[in-house]
Amino acid sequence: MNRRIRLAATDAIYPAAALVAAVACWWAITVVTDVPSFVLPPPDAVLARLIGNPELYAINAWYTLEKVVYGGLVGIVSGIALAAFVAYVPWFRRAIYPYLVTVRVLPKLAIAPLLLIYLGTGMGTAIVFIAMITFFPLVLNTAAGLDRAPARHRELLRSVGAGPLERVRYVDVPYAIPGVFAGLKQSVTLAVVGAVVAEWVVADNGLGFLILMGSENVSPDIMLAALLVLLLEGLLLYGGVVALQRGVDSWLDLEGGGS
Amino acid sequence: MIELDDLTVTFDDFTAIADVDLRIEPEEFVTIVGPSGCGKTTLLRAVGGLQEPTAGRVRIDDRVPAAAQEAGDIGFVFQQHTLFPWKSALENVVFLRTMADKSPKREKAHALLRSMGLDGFEEARPSQLSGGMKQRVAIARALHLGADVLLMDEPFGELDEITRDELGAEIRSLWRQERKTIVFVTHSVPEAVFLGERCVVMRDQPGRIEATFDIDLPTPRDTDVFGSRAFQEQVAAVRQTLHESYE
Ligand SMILES: Nc1ncnc2c1ncn2[C@@H]1O[C@H](COP(=O)(O)OP(=O)(O)O)[C@@H](O)[C@H]1O
Ligand SMILES: [Mg+2]
Repeated sequence: MNRRIRLAATDAIYPAAALVAAVACWWAITVVTDVPSFVLPPPDAVLARLIGNPELYAINAWYTLEKVVYGGLVGIVSGIALAAFVAYVPWFRRAIYPYLVTVRVLPKLAIAPLLLIYLGTGMGTAIVFIAMITFFPLVLNTAAGLDRAPARHRELLRSVGAGPLERVRYVDVPYAIPGVFAGLKQSVTLAVVGAVVAEWVVADNGLGFLILMGSENVSPDIMLAALLVLLLEGLLLYGGVVALQRGVDSWLDLEGGGS
Repeated sequence: MIELDDLTVTFDDFTAIADVDLRIEPEEFVTIVGPSGCGKTTLLRAVGGLQEPTAGRVRIDDRVPAAAQEAGDIGFVFQQHTLFPWKSALENVVFLRTMADKSPKREKAHALLRSMGLDGFEEARPSQLSGGMKQRVAIARALHLGADVLLMDEPFGELDEITRDELGAEIRSLWRQERKTIVFVTHSVPEAVFLGERCVVMRDQPGRIEATFDIDLPTPRDTDVFGSRAFQEQVAAVRQTLHESYE
């Protein structure tokens, strides 16, 4: 553990240096060339936006986060529930699985304007839209994960009189966990994309809305500041999923008793 | 006692085993040998309640297999080790017993792993163990379960020959110490003769019992008997029966 942290610390020097170099280049370009600041503002102008009006970014980050969390939860819960049906109800699987696989090809972003008609300009559109986007990776990955458990493990438990629920809990679920988290990692990224698209379509609030406004007013500094906050928010959410996975994994390892 | 009466298993219209009659006494060590696909696995699964008979019946101490399962009286060891990859060797051994609703005995589990030569590997994950070690854990797990009946389906099938011989000798001595009823499936004739007190020879299409041999070898046995005349003669006799059934 110790070793891993130290490794990570020395490894971090390289990307950190690359970041500094990139920002320096950006800054140098704005100084050396006479590219107007409404095309490419210098880094300090972007920072000034953030520091000058932190509430604006904080409140819109919050709105975006709210949509991601609500929509994400609906998508994740319904995705896992559907995956369980797919995995355990054979006729349901045969009826629905071909559609799950083919609908995946559909660019779901294209559905957002349609939702606007059905659900209006409220929060509902964003939530349903994000739920829809996060739903697919979860269904497919969770269903695949639940299928991964080898039949022989289930039979082993059956041979000592363990019931179906115990087989699910102690064989299927542990085997499905990596799939669930693979799905979650895709979903959390897509959820942020979905929130931004929803905010463009609905144009009510949030970081996506801020970017849209920045574009209409030709203020790339606002747009870049909002993008930066969006990036941090996305990283935070992704980090949350990674941390959750660590927690679940170590909990599973301890299950059955250490020593 | 394990009793099979006219046991028949069919898959759709394919008959895997037909009319198998067999009695296995408590604390007996019976080996079942036969060519691939002759229904050995199907037979063992039917005994252990993993395969429903199409006709006939199975009784284990006058109970249906499901009741014996429920009581934790059946210990399977499969060809593939079936250890849970996320659990350590010790956790694997203890876990199955908990699943059988029996209270785990960590000291006993430790002792079993030690006696299987796995001292110091209690905390190792299956991925860190060799094939032979994994099967040792699986055997320790079946013993820790405390089942009276051990059903082993080619447990050494994926191991190299030296490890097979070693583990075979260990199974023999465990059988004597722990007084289990063991049904051991293999497609190796020497293994069947070396391990069993009785050797059941199967043939295929459909799977059924061709002959039964009482093995006449000293107990305790170790790998020295491989060189003995008595061993070789009995291997030859079983082989001949196997080959005759194909003429
Ligand atoms: N679940 C099943 N469905 C259909 N056929 C099966 C099934 N299990 C086994 N068989 C068939 O039954 C025969 C006996 O199989 P098995 O008992 O595994 O033989 P062995 O263990 O002696 O190699 C084989 O021909 C196999 O293909
Ligand atoms: Mg087999």
